[in-house]
Amino acid sequence: MLKVAIYGKGGIGKSTVTANLAASFARLGKKVIQIGCDPKADSTINLLHGNGVTPVMNFLREHDREPNKLEEIAKEGFGGILCIETGGPTPGLGCAGRGIITTFSLLEDLELFETYKPDVVLYDVLGDVVCGGFAAPIRENYASHVLIVSSGEKMALYAANNIHNAVKNFADRGYAKVFGIVLNRRSVENEEEKVRAFADANDLQIVADIPRSNEIIYWEDRNMTIVEGAENSPVSKEFLALANKLLKAEEDRKENE
Amino acid sequence: MKQTTRTLSIYSSDTAGTASMLYELGGMTVIHDASGCNSTYSTHDEPRWYQMDSMIYISGLTETDVILGNDERLIEDVCKAAKELSPRFITLAASPMPVMTGTDLDAIADEIRARTLLPVFPIHTNGMNSYLKGASDSLLAFLQYFCKENVEKTVRPSVNIIGATPLDFSINGTVESIRKFLMEEGFDVISCMSMGSSFEEIISAGKAQVNLVISSCGLAAAKYLFRQFHTPFVTGVPLGKRYAGHLAQELRKAIKNGENSFSCLYDRSIPQERENAPAVIHESIFASSLACALEKDLSIPANVIVPEELQISLYRKDADIVAECEDSLREILTHTGTLIADPFYQALISENQSFIPLPHEAFSGRCFRRANKVLAARDLSQWRDILC
Repeated sequence: MLKVAIYGKGGIGKSTVTANLAASFARLGKKVIQIGCDPKADSTINLLHGNGVTPVMNFLREHDREPNKLEEIAKEGFGGILCIETGGPTPGLGCAGRGIITTFSLLEDLELFETYKPDVVLYDVLGDVVCGGFAAPIRENYASHVLIVSSGEKMALYAANNIHNAVKNFADRGYAKVFGIVLNRRSVENEEEKVRAFADANDLQIVADIPRSNEIIYWEDRNMTIVEGAENSPVSKEFLALANKLLKAEEDRKENE
Repeated sequence: MKQTTRTLSIYSSDTAGTASMLYELGGMTVIHDASGCNSTYSTHDEPRWYQMDSMIYISGLTETDVILGNDERLIEDVCKAAKELSPRFITLAASPMPVMTGTDLDAIADEIRARTLLPVFPIHTNGMNSYLKGASDSLLAFLQYFCKENVEKTVRPSVNIIGATPLDFSINGTVESIRKFLMEEGFDVISCMSMGSSFEEIISAGKAQVNLVISSCGLAAAKYLFRQFHTPFVTGVPLGKRYAGHLAQELRKAIKNGENSFSCLYDRSIPQERENAPAVIHESIFASSLACALEKDLSIPANVIVPEELQISLYRKDADIVAECEDSLREILTHTGTLIADPFYQALISENQSFIPLPHEAFSGRCFRRANKVLAARDLSQWRDILC
């Protein structure tokens, strides 16, 4: 099972990248689960054509009990992708990181992986590894690969550096490793050079280069990913290529094991 | 009021179960918890503390450690202590606070293992489950780590006693009586998990021909030994005279046919008139065994009541009465004859109702230890007058 966690600065396009990646895996015939780990709970909305799933935290708040079955907190979207959102506490209160841990524990109790048997699991995580809860997706038994989404903007690279350092700090713990950087272009001057300089300095690869494209916005306005709406567009092909790279990496990892 | 306790105590926590089960095995048990809570595990719940040394530690978790996620201090402290004390193994168990903040005990265990080169196993306690879970998980983890090599079975009939901790059996001689009884019945006792046996004896458990599970703490371990060494198990505590003899027969039968027996559950009748029949409250293998003993020795069938906190234990779902909260237990007890239970439960029954104290350390700690009588392989006829 390929398990990937996607991190990056807030607003950099993590959910867009994750959802398009999920759609690409689905296009490749894979059984996919996408788990949005952001209190905003909007990670999977375009896979579900605008009819979002009840986030786990919302379920707990509304029902004052834990869900008894997966259907209460999961919904299938494009290509049969199973969509789950952790959601978050009442804004300004509670603990969002704890929400992620609780959601993961609930999903274990509900035997998500055993019953659904996915080929690919994607975790779309809030901007930065700010506490234990936000590191949960990269722990042992969860993701084995981390993708960092960044543009050439200074603050996006700053966040990417923080995330990379956080993952490096967990090297002794058998946590996930950084697979590479997804360059999500924002029309910054010398954008590729800046991101490449960061990548080279940290011994990382740029594993995908997503062009700035109005097509993405066009399809998102129609509650779809571009991979669903325009499979043959150059942008979609970039996501499909990234999906294939990740599948290959997982095969290599298994062989090494 | 559901899930609310107004009169009763609560049972010891899973962390206490872990500390208790591993107490005599030469390991270092570290509970990741705030400073000042050590006495819960080491004195209130541990009668051996004043007689026998054991490496039970608390991490002394501070507010700053929690806020900063300072796992390194725990790792360094454990490694330093391990260097000084040379434990055979290290166990980490979590209290509620590290669980709430998502401390990754597995990863911390990996780091300590890498630095000390000692066996380190985390037990996923949370301080909110009962002692049964902590004790059960700890014994299972211990056996999975240390007791897996194939060994020759003994030639003579032999047995392991599984599931002994003072939380269920106190230190009043009950475990020693069980051991003596089994030896008198012709069994060699390979080990007793985990009271009165050495590390070496316990890791040689695979050579026993049968296992006797005397509390729910030992059931997962017995199932593991069945899978690993094909050693069948029998559940029950040899209480009273006749039931003890019956249990010895069950052990011989299991050796012969290789099949497991849930003796304490099924070798008893359900009282025909359930109301006004005696009722037993204790850990459910103990309580069921006492019900077996009352029927076999005194011809008095009894009900077994399982408190909500102990529902993870082994009980008979078609017959035993589950009390979901203190209020429902109070209601159940109004229709009960003589109650045999920890003295704390006496507060829930009327003054006219007869009561036989059965102190349970996991429930009342040391409060009634002196009144805790040995019932293993003993005559129960002194209870006849009260029960009839």
